[in-house]
Amino acid sequence: MLNKVYFYATCLGTAAMQEMVLNAIKLLRKEGVEVIFKKNQTCCGQPSFNSGYFNESKEVALYNTRLFEKDYPIIVPSGSCAGMMSHDYIELFKEDKRLDEIKHFSSKVIELSQYLDQVLNVNYEDKGEPIKVTWHSNCHALRVQKSITSSKNLIKRLKNVELIELEYEQECCGFGGTFSVKEPEISNAMARAKVNDIQNTGAKYIISGDGGCLLNIKGTMSRMGLDIKGFHLYDFLLKRLEGAKL
Amino acid sequence: MSAEHKLPHEVAVHENLSNEQMRTNLTTAMHILQKNRLKVIDDRFEDWQGLRARARQAKNNALMSLDERLLEFEKNATKNGMHVHWASSDTDACEIIYQIMMEKKANKILKGKSMASEEIGLNHYLEKKGLKAVESDLGELVLQLDEDTPVHIVVPAIHRNRYQIGQTFKDKLGASLESEPEKLNAIAREHLRNQFEDLKIGLSGVNFAMSEQGAIWLIENEGNGRMCTTASDIHIALCGIEKVMQSFEDAATMVHLLTPSATGQFIPTYNNIITGPRKNGDLDGPREVHIVLFDHNRTRMLANKNYYEALRCIRCGACMNFCPVYDKIGGHTYQTTYPGPIGEVISPNLFGIDKTGDILSFCSLCGRCSEVCPVKIPLANLIRTLRSDKAGQGEQKLLGDENMHHNKAEAFAMRNFQMAATNGGLWRFSLGNAHYFNWAVQGLKSALPVIKKWSEFKDLPSIKVDLYKEVQKLEGVSYE
Repeated sequence: MLNKVYFYATCLGTAAMQEMVLNAIKLLRKEGVEVIFKKNQTCCGQPSFNSGYFNESKEVALYNTRLFEKDYPIIVPSGSCAGMMSHDYIELFKEDKRLDEIKHFSSKVIELSQYLDQVLNVNYEDKGEPIKVTWHSNCHALRVQKSITSSKNLIKRLKNVELIELEYEQECCGFGGTFSVKEPEISNAMARAKVNDIQNTGAKYIISGDGGCLLNIKGTMSRMGLDIKGFHLYDFLLKRLEGAKL
Repeated sequence: MSAEHKLPHEVAVHENLSNEQMRTNLTTAMHILQKNRLKVIDDRFEDWQGLRARARQAKNNALMSLDERLLEFEKNATKNGMHVHWASSDTDACEIIYQIMMEKKANKILKGKSMASEEIGLNHYLEKKGLKAVESDLGELVLQLDEDTPVHIVVPAIHRNRYQIGQTFKDKLGASLESEPEKLNAIAREHLRNQFEDLKIGLSGVNFAMSEQGAIWLIENEGNGRMCTTASDIHIALCGIEKVMQSFEDAATMVHLLTPSATGQFIPTYNNIITGPRKNGDLDGPREVHIVLFDHNRTRMLANKNYYEALRCIRCGACMNFCPVYDKIGGHTYQTTYPGPIGEVISPNLFGIDKTGDILSFCSLCGRCSEVCPVKIPLANLIRTLRSDKAGQGEQKLLGDENMHHNKAEAFAMRNFQMAATNGGLWRFSLGNAHYFNWAVQGLKSALPVIKKWSEFKDLPSIKVDLYKEVQKLEGVSYE
């Protein structure tokens, strides 16, 4: 039976990580999944929610529930946005009469790695050279969406990739959405600490399942002039499956 | 820290972040405390999550019947021979202690560790009256000698290493220059022995007050607290009203959570359960015990459907031990008695959002604090809700709200964001020729110099792809 899903590109995916969005869709297509891309999709509403603008965030949430009206899984290539839509929406509407509508929408949301790992149970053939990588856990994916185990499971299915765990893995990299622009100096201190831990692993590749963290970490490494490459999980997976150069 | 000495937010951040020594000391210490906590939970507890749930319930029960609990405590404590005083404000609490000192003709009190006394500004209040409050907790003593304030609520001098402490003891106590912990302890012990010798009034905080027993429970690691509560003629215990719980069993549940969360110890070194003054035949103990029950905006907090949960706090400090912001900037940057995640929640409630609301940006909402809080305070959610109050969207007005200047530019930007995010055509138009954070630049430029602040420390990616065009080329994808 052919699966049919909605794909939620996320605002960062649309604005800054278009390749990742296309690769993520290709990973689903590889498994024979039929994908619906709603052209009018926007953002999950985290920027306003985390800044305390709950009225505005509610409008964005309702817009999403109505745009993705059919009962297909909503696949999100980001633990952060998936966590927002599957858990934080319910918090946002906890005293609102529209809670049931929101709950129905939230129950359809799933992070891409969870879908590939738990629902499709994918079988991956790694065509790349043997390498060592390390992994950055996004806070929201770790504590809200709880998708990190699935993300790592996908990497572990690649026979030529050795995953080195990051020390202090559960510490935030300092992105935090608007946090990074409201407190840039603190954010930088946090990112530098994270990059230091990455350097300590000796791995030349850092993989993460979240665009925001990745931009933050890559931007910091680039400013520091380091020879370590950052990859979004879905870019990395597709490259390994295609045997492409990293 | 008093309001008149408050530094501008950015200055406080920059100065503390630039203090390399403090940051190294803090990061090292916090990582040790984190590991200790995890180890003791793994090694010694079978059902940590069950204990948390039970503690949450016990504390909520006490809070939901607080008026009853307080009256019961007063009745039973009085029966046990303690004097119970009621203070509504911070100043009232200071005044009660001052009056006891006057009555007893004491010009000095010796203090055990108490964040409550920091909260009400007791040392400063007494100093202005020409009286002295001497710290006996080792960390507090170091800070008092250095005219510094606590950086952490459990380990107040954790930002100082042993070499710095040795220097302080040399400079302020005339001791020889030492850096070995044993030798530093010996210097402090000798100094404090002299202080304990002529002790008339000892002051302590309260960890838990039990209403059914009319008793208080104090935990500590150094033994100085026990000296303050037993060696003196008079013992004054300063107790926020939220510390009152119903039963001894409830308090015991809390103690089992507190030390593992705070320092990773299984049990505290000293448990002091005080049921009243010296009785006939007792060989030691104070002749009078005074309990000062103070409110200082806690009742107001209890009435708020969002923030009453933070009154469950047992002051273990786990949230700050695990906060990735706290260990970078340290407690002083918050410029309020209670730093870290719990400080971000209770400081605006206790001192006013107008005076302390700026610290709400010290959080990336990573959620680690909520995860480790032993009494399950949803700290990250509450910080977000406080931001909403600060933005003027809260239902219940917070203390100091009338003096708030809402950020009109930010509000305007968020309305713009909403407009774009609920209009697919507009969104596609603005992102079609995407440039990183384009919406933010369009939407937030009036509130935040987004790109400038980001690129001050980090490089920006370059964008080349039109996503909408490329998606339509994919086989098996319906673009609708």
